[in-house]
Amino acid sequence: MLDDAQNGTFFESSYDETKLSRLESRWKEFLETSVLSNRNLEAERHRLEQFISDISHQTKTPMTNIRMYTELLNEEVNKLSEKENEEATVDRIKKYAQEIGRQNERLEFLIDSLTKLSRLESGTLEVVAASSPVNELVKKAVSAVKPKADKKKISFMTADAEGDISITASFDMKWTLEALINVLDNAVKYSPEGGRVEVQLSETEMYAAVHVIDEGPGISEEDATRVFGRFFRGSDVQQADGVGIGLYLAREILSKEDGYIKVISNEKRKGGEFILYLRK
Amino acid sequence: MSILVAEHLKKYYGEGETLVKALDDVSLQVERGEFLSIIGTSGSGKSTLLHMLGGLDNPTAGKVIIDDKDISNLKGDELCIFRRRKIGFIFQSFNLVPSISVYENIILPLQLDGKKVDKEFVENVIETLGLGNKLDRIPSKLSGGQQQRVAIARALASKPAIILADEPTGNLDSKTSQDVLGLLKTTGKKFDQTIVMITHNDEIAQMADRTIRIEDGHIV
Repeated sequence: MLDDAQNGTFFESSYDETKLSRLESRWKEFLETSVLSNRNLEAERHRLEQFISDISHQTKTPMTNIRMYTELLNEEVNKLSEKENEEATVDRIKKYAQEIGRQNERLEFLIDSLTKLSRLESGTLEVVAASSPVNELVKKAVSAVKPKADKKKISFMTADAEGDISITASFDMKWTLEALINVLDNAVKYSPEGGRVEVQLSETEMYAAVHVIDEGPGISEEDATRVFGRFFRGSDVQQADGVGIGLYLAREILSKEDGYIKVISNEKRKGGEFILYLRK
Repeated sequence: MSILVAEHLKKYYGEGETLVKALDDVSLQVERGEFLSIIGTSGSGKSTLLHMLGGLDNPTAGKVIIDDKDISNLKGDELCIFRRRKIGFIFQSFNLVPSISVYENIILPLQLDGKKVDKEFVENVIETLGLGNKLDRIPSKLSGGQQQRVAIARALASKPAIILADEPTGNLDSKTSQDVLGLLKTTGKKFDQTIVMITHNDEIAQMADRTIRIEDGHIV
């Protein structure tokens, strides 16, 4: 065939799939697989580098804050010994101590999430999907976030969208709980004081769906595709607490059990809605 | 590394006063394993673009390179064979062969190519798409969503370089669409399959890793 082509005697109509051409194509496939595994290694190395630089970047902010507030705290304590304006000083000391506590929590959450993430990604901890009731998952997750919600006087409304039938799906209870708690945590964080967070269930032929609906600002169309990225922070919430890893972790967990997570952007509805799809 | 590259693609119809620029200088790259959605209204040029990317039509100018091969100048049988080996299609209208079983539909492209069926892989695909108990049925006995799942299985089975999906949920209700999109997304990740999907719907586009918007034949 190649000879024909070189001699200019190759006609398109006589292009047939000989065994040779099939061999060529198989051979190419084989070569590609070995090139591919090399490329995968390279990609893996790049991912690791990126990960480490992300971590150092993300830990810096809370660390700097802690140092700053510690310095301020020391200054105030020194003032205290001078016995000037004692009351105001004590107030400030309280505030700084609280701030240190808050930054500490943030750091703890970050490191905790990163540890989980690395265990999940390296396969040290496996996600084992097994048939389990979705109601139970919701109940456990809600009770885990309840204390935080109570502080902001936020109430939960849980209802099955389609009556009281108990829906089962195939998921890893422990990890999926982690994912749902992260989503509920966000709902509470971005809800106004006294607001309401709804958790609804629905199902399709292939998936059981957990809807988490809050009365917060929601997510813009633009951010909707990026919100599950690692260390992503919405443009409107740069100031709020958080490190941008909860949703990423949730997405990773769900994808390991053949499920997925999506968000309805706030052009479509008022407030925020996240939907976790669990494979049945 | 890019599995699909389009360079300065143009598709013009007619001439002079009646010249229509369906595609006007479109360039894009798709990375291996990526799920890209191309969003645009009807008449934006998105379907024309998909036809060019899939070798269903030749561009007026520009190049389409899939898996290191320039397909813009392939013609006839050559193009047909390339398509069968390298590109998996999922259409709005399912396009299953009505007279043969679900399983036969899934492995049809492999058989046309005289390839051995990678049984373990195909079974894994079938299981992931929840088609295990429907293999002996003929397509008309399945719901629309189930038929589209068969079409996804058929596209995956031959391990193509790229899957092109043209409004894959255009004929489905919203719940069934959610199933089909979810499965398209999860199988893409699971089997490291590159997917390019055309849609006019923002919410559907959001399922992808990356979105490109096309208007009046241009990427915006």
